[in-house]
Amino acid sequence: MNAKKIASMFLASCLLLPSFGMLAGCSGEEVTILKVYNWEEYIDEGGEGSYLYDLALEEEVPEKEIVAPRIIDDFEVWYEETYGEKVEVSYSTFGTNEDMYNELKLGNVYDLLCPSDYMIMKLANETKEDGSPYLEKYDESFFDPDIETNYYIRNVSPYIQKQFETNAGLDTPAGEPQWNEYAAGYMWGTTGFVYNPEFVDAEDLEEDGWQIFVDPSVKGKITAKDNVRDTYFAALGVTFEGGENGLSDLRKRFSEGELTQEEYTKAITKIFNATDEDTIAKVEPYLMDIKENIYSFETDTGKADMVNGTIWLNYAWSGDAVYALDEAETPEYDENGDPIEGSELLLNYYVPEAGTNLWFDGWVMMKDVVERGTKKAAQAFVNFMSRPDNAMRNSYYIGYTSVIAGENAEMLDYVDWLYGGEEENEEDFYDLSYFFGEDEGTVGIYSDEEQRTCRQLFAQFPPESVIERCAVMDYYRKDASERINELWSRVKAETLDAWAIIVICLVVVAIALFIVFVKFGGKIDFFRTKPKKGYHRV
Amino acid sequence: MKVPRFSRKTLCIPYGVFLLFFVLVPMLVILFYAFTDDKMHFSFENFAKFFSDPTKLSTIVYSLVIALVTTVVALLIAYPVAYILARSNIKKKYVVLMLFVLPMWINFVLRVNAIRELFNLISQADGLDWLSNANYFKTIFGMVYDFLPFMILPLYTTMMKIDNSLYEASADLGGNGFTTFARVTLPLSVPGIMSGVTMVFLPSMTNYVVSDMLGNAKVTIIGKFIYTYFGNDWHMGSMIALVLLIVVFLSTWLTGGFKADETVRGTNL
Repeated sequence: MNAKKIASMFLASCLLLPSFGMLAGCSGEEVTILKVYNWEEYIDEGGEGSYLYDLALEEEVPEKEIVAPRIIDDFEVWYEETYGEKVEVSYSTFGTNEDMYNELKLGNVYDLLCPSDYMIMKLANETKEDGSPYLEKYDESFFDPDIETNYYIRNVSPYIQKQFETNAGLDTPAGEPQWNEYAAGYMWGTTGFVYNPEFVDAEDLEEDGWQIFVDPSVKGKITAKDNVRDTYFAALGVTFEGGENGLSDLRKRFSEGELTQEEYTKAITKIFNATDEDTIAKVEPYLMDIKENIYSFETDTGKADMVNGTIWLNYAWSGDAVYALDEAETPEYDENGDPIEGSELLLNYYVPEAGTNLWFDGWVMMKDVVERGTKKAAQAFVNFMSRPDNAMRNSYYIGYTSVIAGENAEMLDYVDWLYGGEEENEEDFYDLSYFFGEDEGTVGIYSDEEQRTCRQLFAQFPPESVIERCAVMDYYRKDASERINELWSRVKAETLDAWAIIVICLVVVAIALFIVFVKFGGKIDFFRTKPKKGYHRV
Repeated sequence: MKVPRFSRKTLCIPYGVFLLFFVLVPMLVILFYAFTDDKMHFSFENFAKFFSDPTKLSTIVYSLVIALVTTVVALLIAYPVAYILARSNIKKKYVVLMLFVLPMWINFVLRVNAIRELFNLISQADGLDWLSNANYFKTIFGMVYDFLPFMILPLYTTMMKIDNSLYEASADLGGNGFTTFARVTLPLSVPGIMSGVTMVFLPSMTNYVVSDMLGNAKVTIIGKFIYTYFGNDWHMGSMIALVLLIVVFLSTWLTGGFKADETVRGTNL
């Protein structure tokens, strides 16, 4: 055992102390503890505002009688009913993929994790200190659609399934695993901009595309993400939007039929995942311009700043965008319970024409499920969350889009319930066939133009025309990771000229010497001042 | 049966254990990580990288400057307050003092968030829109606001202890207000200044919650840097933490924070 292992085991045991107490608490009966590690606010937590609650409200059940439990509690009940065994979910959350990765590196053990695409790849490719892999593959039987309780494989969108089977077109080196061996999808979406149409003209935005980040007309009114992944991605968009073989050029050639979908996806995926030194050198000045032009780097304040009007544009994940749109259009109420006029705000969502990021979050099992005997419960958890009614509950609660389409396209009814228009005009048809794996133009809902082009429906269930110009993020390999981190620290921090650093260091040393002089001056003969003439020391 | 000996030293055991596991061991872990590479081999690579990277050195300098300005501003505000409070004859002094300390009872993230919203509101007014991009100003404002009580309290307690007869003696010898201040109050309140400065200067070098929320994450101080590096490169993160530790140690030593002599005791919170 090496020193790192000991150190990390010590740290891990400090963090794990609470869970020992829990294990001891239920020694009376055989209870499986399933440790789930998910994003913050990424699951139905019941209560007011949850799907069941709002459904009951719609059916005019008196508020006091509404029961809307947490979905995790429902899972525990369902598991016991289905398998006759008790399971207890120990649920904890993380804020970023990197935080989660650090927890694992420290030696913490969970059964189920919910990382994003690039982190799934990283975990699948890396091993722990002792050489054992991080992740466990799903059972073959998990993917057998004939088993009644295999809700995941029975209900997952064929489109998503295909993305998982092909690593969404990433150019991964031979021998690297496919996502679908290790991961079952949970949520997915795009990255784009939430904007306030009162200040930002949709046409200007379309003309700008990624260049909006460096457009002086929105100086101080736009935000970027405070993580290198998303902001570097955006900067790549800004840098390579124009020019020959740039994003716009590729887009044009694709729409003219010169490129196939596969060639086009490959080409933009390559651009959006470039981390070589030349690219970084090209991107860096643009990143600096972005920093100059934006109001803030943020991870969670963007939604609030958007709603209260501090900013006009917020670079956001589609689920957060839906949340912000919902929040902004909900009116405030006065003391009589009447909506205050003008308190609601209509925000829109926009995806750059030249292409953007398509991302997935998926459930992966840690290798330790084998030893802990929790593999069955872990797979059951994924299946339970994939049952269409449960997928709707989660999706409704958090605003993100579930990967579940439903055996009989159950999700379509849900989308229709949320965003469907009253009339069925042909020009109002919103095509979602790709997601449900049907022929073009056969499956969709009728909705008004705003929903179709720039509001919640567009953000939550992007049309195929958005999806086809998206690229998935690959993970940064070792040396690339270091280059990107250095770049990020140069962007985030101010760098002084060498002479300025030297001058300041000299000043600091001078101050330090001065203090030393004051402190010890009296005690050292050399510094002692001689008494003035005419005085005698007493 | 032998009765187990119970001495006063036994009472130190809980704290000793705490000290060992949550102060000493983590520091050793940081030291270990700072001087190893990914393969856990001893290496000076991070050390060399740190001191040859102008960005990292600049960040240290920026943090020092931000902390310095914060401390000076806090001192300028706190000193008169503490002086007036200590010298006045207000009957319920502690009520006024409490008003200054009261904000500390509310969670500080909450307070910083409130200031953020306040700034957002103010900057919507005409002619004040420069505020929305005045990130350094807002960061320092937030830090001063946050750490002001830590400056007032030690100053107040030190000044309370100054014997009134000293002021009388100064007046008897013909010293005017200024002379009394310069020759009596100021020298005798130096221990209070020192502990106040220590308590404001050090945390404001690392308090990145303020710089993230009020500086819109466009102000990067060394604390944030450590946090970011720990996201993917623990070795460099540890090295930065170690350098910071040394800077902190030196400044504490220079300002006399380790002295346990009579005048300082009780003024350190």
